[in-house]
Amino acid sequence: MTHVVTESCIRCKYTDCVDVCPVDCFREGPNFLTIDPDECIDCAVCIPECPVNAIMPEEDVPGDQVHMIQLNADLAKKWPSITKRKPALPDADEWKDKTGKLPELIK
Amino acid sequence: MIETDALVIGAGPVGLFQVFELGLLGIHAQVVDALPHAGGQCVELYADKPIYDVPGLPVCSGRELVERLQQQIRPFAPGLHLGQEVSALQALPDGRWQAETAAGKGFVAKTVFIAAGVGAFQPKRLRLEGAEPLEGRQIHHHPDTLAASGQRVLVLGGEEAAVAAAVALADAGEAASVTLLHRRDVFKAPATMLAHLLALRDAGRVQVEVGQPLALRLTDGRLQGLDILDLSAAHRAVAADQLLVRLGLSPRLGPLADWGLALERKLVVVDTARFETSLPGVYAVGDINHYAGKRKLLVSGFHEATLAAFAAAERVFPGQPVHLQYTTTSPKLHERLGVAAPAHD
Repeated sequence: MTHVVTESCIRCKYTDCVDVCPVDCFREGPNFLTIDPDECIDCAVCIPECPVNAIMPEEDVPGDQVHMIQLNADLAKKWPSITKRKPALPDADEWKDKTGKLPELIK
Repeated sequence: MIETDALVIGAGPVGLFQVFELGLLGIHAQVVDALPHAGGQCVELYADKPIYDVPGLPVCSGRELVERLQQQIRPFAPGLHLGQEVSALQALPDGRWQAETAAGKGFVAKTVFIAAGVGAFQPKRLRLEGAEPLEGRQIHHHPDTLAASGQRVLVLGGEEAAVAAAVALADAGEAASVTLLHRRDVFKAPATMLAHLLALRDAGRVQVEVGQPLALRLTDGRLQGLDILDLSAAHRAVAADQLLVRLGLSPRLGPLADWGLALERKLVVVDTARFETSLPGVYAVGDINHYAGKRKLLVSGFHEATLAAFAAAERVFPGQPVHLQYTTTSPKLHERLGVAAPAHD
């Protein structure tokens, strides 16, 4: 049971989601956030917080994003926890509507 | 073996209110929870956060809501079995249910209410390679299982449970050394406890380290310490013979996945008239259940608990009518609540 951060977050990282998470399950990389599937309790309160609609329940992840399920789990193991909102990446607004951002992901 | 009319699994807000609704119908309940205290998510996740959507209570904290619910169910004096997780549930030939906790306590119940929320809260484990085989020997989640005498003890965590454990170990003075490791240099604990920690650190009795654990240091399968990534992004070793992992609690669905209940997305499927599961006499209420239109809100859970209690009453008192009565006017309910009947002119 988990929610998943999809590619829309890459190079934006608005971090609005982390403030509302009751179980502190977000992990932070250089230009992407991920959800630790072992901690997420599927409460879904993060979904409406994301300005780019990057977060969705595992079951609702569309076909072109299913690779993000495993990626969230893998990256969550090595990235540190983030529990407080911080400024988005400086050029977040330029990237927010772009698709196919996976090659931009810094692991 | 405890025989009961109703067994409630989960002492969160909905489990507690389930006891109340059962009590009004004359059904006494036993309650089991994995945590050592009542309250579930309201205490573990929202203890000091304000709740604004309980009818008639403009605002209260999670802890306050649980205190009020405990006060509300006091007339019904439920059996409380805290710090225990129900591990098995089996049907008996007579239609009752047999439940057992991991600690070996047994119940035979006419009805069972699963109010398990998001699952049983368990200690978060240290997920580093090689950690699991050392659990119980060199890696511990509770101070009680740790023999600190002469050992270099490393406590992991940044919240009260971790700080309290480090302080207690240093005060006891039996460990060869005590180190507290947290990923940030901010600790969440009461001010007096933090002052005590700083005093112990300044006296050289506790080392405080800041960094992210990267790997266990093992020699011939024995733990020697941890590799950490410190704040300056440098790799460093922290020596330890014993790790005390106090990273907080995280809910796990746990054994109920194996009880034969119809599940959907790891939630227990119920009907919306009785909140009964696929197992007759077993009801599911609150965040753990699923039905069309389900919303994980306190008020939904309270509604579900009310209808589930009425459904269960038919089973507990077969052949007897189950009447709807109001707490405002019913002498029978006043008697059950232990309150005086209102004076009439």
